[in-house]
Amino acid sequence: MSPTPAAAPDWGWATEYENVSGEVAICGVGESDHSKASGRTTRDIVGQAVERALADAGLEPRDVDGLMYISMPDQMDVAGFHEYFGTDHDMWESKGGGGMTHAAAAPYEAAHALRDGLASVILNTFGVAWATQRSNMVGGPGESHAQELFKQNLEIPMGWFPQPVYFATVARRHMFEFGTTQEQLGAIAVAQRRNANHTPTAVMHDRTLTMEQYLAAPTIVAPFRKEDCCLISDGGGAFLMTSTERARDMAKPVVEVAGVGLGNSSTGTHWAQQPAFTSTPQVFAAPVAFEMAGVTHDDIDLYTCYDPFTIHTLMQLEDSGFCPKGEGGAFVEGDTLNFDSGKLPTNTHGGLLSHAYVLGIAHVVEVVRQVRGEAAAQVPGAEIGIYGGYTGPQAATLILRRVP
Amino acid sequence: MDVRPAFPLPDTAWKPIHEFWAGAAEHELRIPKCDACGRLCWYPREKCRHCKTTSFTWQTVSGRGTLFSWVVVTHAFLPQFADLVPFAPALVALEEDPAVRLATRIVDCDLDAIEFEMPVEVTFRPISFAGVDGEVTAPLFVPAR
Ligand SMILES: [Zn+2]
Repeated sequence: MSPTPAAAPDWGWATEYENVSGEVAICGVGESDHSKASGRTTRDIVGQAVERALADAGLEPRDVDGLMYISMPDQMDVAGFHEYFGTDHDMWESKGGGGMTHAAAAPYEAAHALRDGLASVILNTFGVAWATQRSNMVGGPGESHAQELFKQNLEIPMGWFPQPVYFATVARRHMFEFGTTQEQLGAIAVAQRRNANHTPTAVMHDRTLTMEQYLAAPTIVAPFRKEDCCLISDGGGAFLMTSTERARDMAKPVVEVAGVGLGNSSTGTHWAQQPAFTSTPQVFAAPVAFEMAGVTHDDIDLYTCYDPFTIHTLMQLEDSGFCPKGEGGAFVEGDTLNFDSGKLPTNTHGGLLSHAYVLGIAHVVEVVRQVRGEAAAQVPGAEIGIYGGYTGPQAATLILRRVP
Repeated sequence: MDVRPAFPLPDTAWKPIHEFWAGAAEHELRIPKCDACGRLCWYPREKCRHCKTTSFTWQTVSGRGTLFSWVVVTHAFLPQFADLVPFAPALVALEEDPAVRLATRIVDCDLDAIEFEMPVEVTFRPISFAGVDGEVTAPLFVPAR
C-alpha cells in the first residue's frame, strides 16, 4: 500500500532536504509530569524533562554541547540550561527546535551540526505551563493568532476565531466533500482515549470515553465537541540526538532518524484562503521522508501526529498516504488506531487529545519508546514509527527506526 | 491579551485593509484586484498570488456568493463574544472568484437551516462586542433572496 502521488499540487511545496538517513540517532528521551493547572513554571517543567532524558541516555549535563529550542516565552536557552544545571561549557545552539513541526524537523538541522562538528550531543526541548497560565488569561494557543493583523482585522471581528473555530470549519467542509461523519471523528477521540487509558503518564489516563458518550456530548463549535479538541496542559519533553555511530556505544537500543521531510503551505496561517482547504502540508512533507527512509507505508508499525483536533489526525493520515484523500473517515473507523489491535496504531500515548497538550514533543518521546519496545501502551514488535508534526503553515514527517 | 482596547473590533485605519472597511461603511464590498492578471487577491498582500505583480485596484464586487463552510459556536471563546452565542461564523466563496473566501457570519437564518453551497448575499450591519466601546459596519451574509 503505497499510493502513487498524483501531480504535485501547487498550493505549497516541500523544503529541499539532503539525504541524512541513518546519520542521527535519538539516544535519550524524557518527559515531565503532565497535568492540568499545576502552578509549575515552564522552566521547571522543561528542566524535569531534560533531567529524565539525560538519565535515559546515561549522560551528564556537561556532555550536552548542542541545544535546540524555539523562541517562545520561558523556553530553555543556553543561559537557562547552565542556570538549571550549574554548568558553564560552550554550547552550539539553534532556535529551530521545540515542538510542533520543529520536533520532527530538528533532527535534520542536528544532522548538519553533527556533520560539521559543531556539536556531538544535541538536546531538543519544549514545554508549556498553559494550563496554569490560562487561569490568568495570558499566553495560550490563541494569542499568537490574535496578534496577527489580518486575522485581527478580517477574521476575529466576524467571530471566526480561535483554533477550534478554524478547524471545525475545516472538518465541516471535509464532511461535505468526502462524506466524513461525526462518528468517524468520534472514532479518533475514542481510540486515542483508550490508548491514553493504557498510558499512566497521560492526563486522561483515568477517564474513559465511549462512542455513546462522545455522541451524547454537546457541541461547543459544531461539528466539534470538547472531545474533538486537545487538552490544555502543563508539561514538556526533551530528546537527545547524537551520531548513530556514537549511539551504538550507549545504554539504549539505537533509534535512528531514517527519514525526514518538511512541507509548506503558501497561504501560511491564513487557512481561510488555503486552496486545498481540507489538506495539510503533509502532502509535501511525507513523500520526502518516505523516500529518504526507503520505506513504504506497509513498513510502518505505528503513527503519531500533531493532533490539536480530531480532524488533524484524519487529514494527516490521508495526506501522508496511509489512505487515499477523502477516505480517512472510513480508515479510522473501528479499532484501526488502537495500540494493541489496530491496523495502524496511532497516537499510542493518547496524543494531544488525551495524553497532554505539549505540542508534539511527547509524540517523539513516545515513538522512540515504542520502537525500543518500552512504551506503556506497547505496539507488539514495533520497529518503525512516525511523528507527523504540524503548525498549519508547515507540516513535517519524521520516520524513526530501531537499528538491528 | 496585549492588543488594542477596541479588540475585537477591527482597526479600520490599518492601511492594508482600510479600503475594505471604508467600503463596508458605504455598504460596498471591496476586494483588491490585480492590475496585471485581473484576478481578485485576498487577503491583501504586496504581490499578486497569481502573477506576482505589485499593483492593485480595489474593486466593488456583487456581494453574492456561496457558503463554503460554517460552524455553530455555542461556547464564547473570547469574553467579548458572550453576547453573540450562539452564532455561525462562516467562509463565503465570492461569485466573482470562488477562490476568494470571506470570513464572515451568517445572520437572519435559523442556525439549523444553514446548508452547504447555499447561495448567500451580503448585508451590512453594525457589529459590537460585550464590554467594548464603539461599533463598526461589517459585511455579514444572509441566505440569498
Ligand atoms: Zn496578478
